[in-house]
Amino acid sequence: MSDAVLTEVGQVRERAAARWDVQRRRTWVLFLVPAVIVYTVFMAFPLFNSMRLSLYQGKGLTPETYVGFANYTELFTNPLWRDRFFNALRNTVVFFAIHMLVQNTLGLLFASLLSNVHLRGRNIYRAVIFLPATLSVLVTGFLWTLILNPRWGMLNQLLEGVGLGALARPWLGDANLALPVISLVSSWQWVGLPTMMFLAGLLTISDELLEAARVDGASAWQVFWRIKLPLLKPVIGIVSVLTFVGNFNAFDVIFAMAGARGEPGYSTDLMATFFYRTAIAGEHPVAQPNMGLGAAIATIMFLILLAGVSLWLILGRERDEKTGT
Amino acid sequence: MKVKFALLFVVMLALLSTSALAQDSVVQLTMGSWRVDDVAQMQVILDAFSAAYPNVKITFDPTNPPDYNATLRTQLEGGTAPDLFYLRSYATSRQLYEEGFLEPLGDLTGLMENFTPEARAPWATDDGVPYGVPFIAVSHGIYYNVDLFNELGLEIPTTWEGLIEVAQKIKDAGYTAFANASGDEWTIAEIVFMNLAPNFIGGFEGRQAYLKGERCFNDEHAVAAFQAVADIAPFLPEGQEALTYYDSQQLFLLGEAAMWMGGSWDIPFFESEEPEFAWSVFAVPAPEGQEQAYVTFHLDAGMGLNAASTHKEEAKLFLEWMATPEFATLLADNLPGFFPISTNTVSLQNEHANTFLSLNEGRGLDVRWAWEGLLAGQPDGYTLMQNGALAVIAGTQTPQEAADALQDGLAQWFEPAQNCAK
Repeated sequence: MSDAVLTEVGQVRERAAARWDVQRRRTWVLFLVPAVIVYTVFMAFPLFNSMRLSLYQGKGLTPETYVGFANYTELFTNPLWRDRFFNALRNTVVFFAIHMLVQNTLGLLFASLLSNVHLRGRNIYRAVIFLPATLSVLVTGFLWTLILNPRWGMLNQLLEGVGLGALARPWLGDANLALPVISLVSSWQWVGLPTMMFLAGLLTISDELLEAARVDGASAWQVFWRIKLPLLKPVIGIVSVLTFVGNFNAFDVIFAMAGARGEPGYSTDLMATFFYRTAIAGEHPVAQPNMGLGAAIATIMFLILLAGVSLWLILGRERDEKTGT
Repeated sequence: MKVKFALLFVVMLALLSTSALAQDSVVQLTMGSWRVDDVAQMQVILDAFSAAYPNVKITFDPTNPPDYNATLRTQLEGGTAPDLFYLRSYATSRQLYEEGFLEPLGDLTGLMENFTPEARAPWATDDGVPYGVPFIAVSHGIYYNVDLFNELGLEIPTTWEGLIEVAQKIKDAGYTAFANASGDEWTIAEIVFMNLAPNFIGGFEGRQAYLKGERCFNDEHAVAAFQAVADIAPFLPEGQEALTYYDSQQLFLLGEAAMWMGGSWDIPFFESEEPEFAWSVFAVPAPEGQEQAYVTFHLDAGMGLNAASTHKEEAKLFLEWMATPEFATLLADNLPGFFPISTNTVSLQNEHANTFLSLNEGRGLDVRWAWEGLLAGQPDGYTLMQNGALAVIAGTQTPQEAADALQDGLAQWFEPAQNCAK
């Protein structure tokens, strides 16, 4: 065959390949369309619409007067709103910190214990740890309000029974205790999720690595600290981000255990309950809610979440680049 | 086969058209409300109305209470609001009228004759143009356990000081005096503080003096009202910081607490929960040396007519019917604890409701303090009074500090409070 023919064949092949590429790309787009439509209609549109609402003022659920950034100015200059906003923000940070400290640390501990193949009854423990996560927050919240009830609750009676009656408290009525107590209840409920994720991460670590370490004379603690923990880093990252997103949107457990006002005295008021009161329910039983201001709070919540998640993504990429993966 | 189907189709069409014809002569109205608990009871009342006016049928369509104000407004703005709907008293519905959503009712037959000006005021302009028919009032008082009072040999106290003495005796006997608690914060605002306040600020006249700026919200009377909250604080149940409304009810029902400051709307609850339980109610007594006593008889709900309704004439038939003794009797008997506001005297079948109503005799009546005028700005009077009373109970504020906080908060937006006599 002459060179000319060869080039022609080559060109035809190239063209065919290009055409196939275009076709394949079209098919991809086709596959994406349903997801994009669902995402646009149910996620993107409401999100942008609520941002739009934050620039409006009015009495109903759809405020109609354009006011620019007046809602934001009001939120940050009126001491009344500003104090409640920063109070809610502070409480949310505490709520998140307790989850990171208690829920995720316990999750890691449980996962380490459960990954031990010699542990008897592993499946039972795993089921027990995961069980609360399958219940509705309203149900567990209500159960815990009964347990913590100072008059007929189990906890105080238990304390009195073992001679520690002096420790009995109106747990949910004390402004200093209510938020930590509710955070612990929430940690108890959701500890199964990080446990499962850490367990899955631990099970992917190859036995050869662990065995090699043991042969080299590493103690169990060194194996955990030097080998397992570094290899778990990606999972820890994901668990932290999920906890962050979940906690900064948390509403149900506070609503169930302390009401929409974050009682007592706003001490358990989170961003989401503050938003709910401002935008939907109103400050007191006959109050008129302020949807525009509420939308401004929702937008700020979104920005906080966006900043947190972006930070994680950026840090994650830098780390990946360093390790060359 | 086909013939059969065709026949069936014709029959169905005929049925549909006749029912449509039947509906033509009956006007369908809807009624909006926040009382989701009252569906069955309101049905009895609405059925009685349909019996009297067979060509009008009203459907009761309530909304979850916390969402009611926002939902109603959205419906009104979108043109899908009910023809008739419950109105909150004072500012909340005044706003609706000022924006043209409510039909003025000045020419409604029976409205002027059957209701006093004071009763119409929560749903009328300052010039007295009514835009709602007064509908439901709730009363407040102190529930007490009759058997326990007899056992301890206690008399119904006639002065505030006497009440505190009685509370002390109950506490000494090993019982809780008051079942009230701050676990649900609104209860401290509505059934403790605003229940006792009229006796200390001088009822309607005293309250008006605040609204006109003749008194400051931290004057001696307001301080005395917060002091009264401080007086009962030692007699609340142990762990009251976290006990809820429901816990309080149970403490009273179980006989662990001898008294409960409460509202008349709980009559059906106590009667159905424990029919054998012997309880009654007395009015919050006035402080020693004060001859005039007061009862918080709160005008809670009115009925409004949607200005955009297509069946105003038929809806007005219902509103006029609301002024009749027949309606008042039906309301009082079906919803014991919710009192009709019209001047038509009705005898109540429910004994407890009668006791509650008898507290009004010889006493001055007034609505809850925060409702008129004090809810229209931020921080609102309701939240300020609630936070103040809670702080006094918790011991974090003195009564004077709580009253000062009320004055300072209201002075941020409420003109009379800014210019009040120092």
